[in-house]
Amino acid sequence: MRFRFCGDLDCPDWVLAEISTLAKISSVKLKLICGQVLKDLQGEGIDYEKILKLTSDAKFESGDMKATIAVLSFILSSAAKHSVDSDSLSSELQQLGLPKEHAAGLCRSYEEKQSPLQDSLRTRSLRLNRLDSVSWRVDQTLSSSELQQVNEPLVHLKFTVRDRDRGVTEPFAMTVSAEKFRVLLAELRQAHAMMKTLS
Amino acid sequence: MLLVLSEEHKEHLGFLTQVDSAVVGEFGRIAVEFLRKGTNPKIYEGAARKLNVSSDVIQHGVEGLTYLLTEGSKLMISEIDFQDSVLVLGFSEELNKLLLQLYLDNRKEIRSILGELTPKLPSYHSLEWRLDVQLASRSLRQQIKPAVTIKLHLDQNGDQTTKILQTDPATLLHLIQQLEQALGEMKTNHCRRIVRNIK
Repeated sequence: MRFRFCGDLDCPDWVLAEISTLAKISSVKLKLICGQVLKDLQGEGIDYEKILKLTSDAKFESGDMKATIAVLSFILSSAAKHSVDSDSLSSELQQLGLPKEHAAGLCRSYEEKQSPLQDSLRTRSLRLNRLDSVSWRVDQTLSSSELQQVNEPLVHLKFTVRDRDRGVTEPFAMTVSAEKFRVLLAELRQAHAMMKTLS
Repeated sequence: MLLVLSEEHKEHLGFLTQVDSAVVGEFGRIAVEFLRKGTNPKIYEGAARKLNVSSDVIQHGVEGLTYLLTEGSKLMISEIDFQDSVLVLGFSEELNKLLLQLYLDNRKEIRSILGELTPKLPSYHSLEWRLDVQLASRSLRQQIKPAVTIKLHLDQNGDQTTKILQTDPATLLHLIQQLEQALGEMKTNHCRRIVRNIK
């Protein structure tokens, strides 16, 4: 069976198995737990104590709370990943065996937070090192050991690159002569114009 | 399979005949504790003072016991073989029984500790990917060149490293095909026969 929220693939077996665990919680509590999971997916951290309190009367075994959080994270992030609207998500979850009120509650939480979730997933997408800032300085070379009167302008450029893995910024400095700088600027302007036509 | 003990080893273990069985039991406990957490030379000092011998003798005794236990666990020798190997040392009946009990009690744990000492290659941790399309470069405009950028997260003994790779979709398909072929090897008769024999 192909599901849109799984990216038009089969639903993983473990998700199918845990749907019955989800049905053990009341639909109101499920909506609150969804809220917590959505906060975690957006990077705001998760409050395990609250979830523990919400599931306390559902007679969960030891691994069931973790399983609930895992399956909800999967469903919500996968639905956001494939831009599934909340009605389709609701009908697909009901096909998997989730009761109607639970599916409705889950999809309502999803619908409220769909755009912020997709934005945070976008920022978390793979990016290699990125440019943090640029600083520059223009000097005038007066003379050198080779020639007494030089009188040429010189640009110092410093790029600060953020290394994503280590989370540190590294400076990268270079000097550019006037002609080279003009060429660099012309090429970058062309690239910028091309980017503007696309966005 | 019998354990062959060197002369030096027998000499070190000979110290155990000079003390009563409670002390040997204590030495056995210290030996297993050292295997779990690492050696602590201060214990040698304390024991040496109590038994009125030099701490070297104590150290040799405990190390001899440790070596006996690890060699026995490594080779997974049976009870009878262990008893025969220890008989060579000429200990009392009681001491032999004590050593055998020590070996049998701790064999499984020592084997699991020894199992963790194998060298490990970097192993897979997670994978991030991104699909880009190159539309223009400085040298050529109006291009369409898709590329997949992959960040492979590897884990080696707790150190995380990343490798960044880039490929075009044709190579990626070839890679997927090769990996699926590798997985398919498990289903051939040759592999099935070997797996059956191991089980």
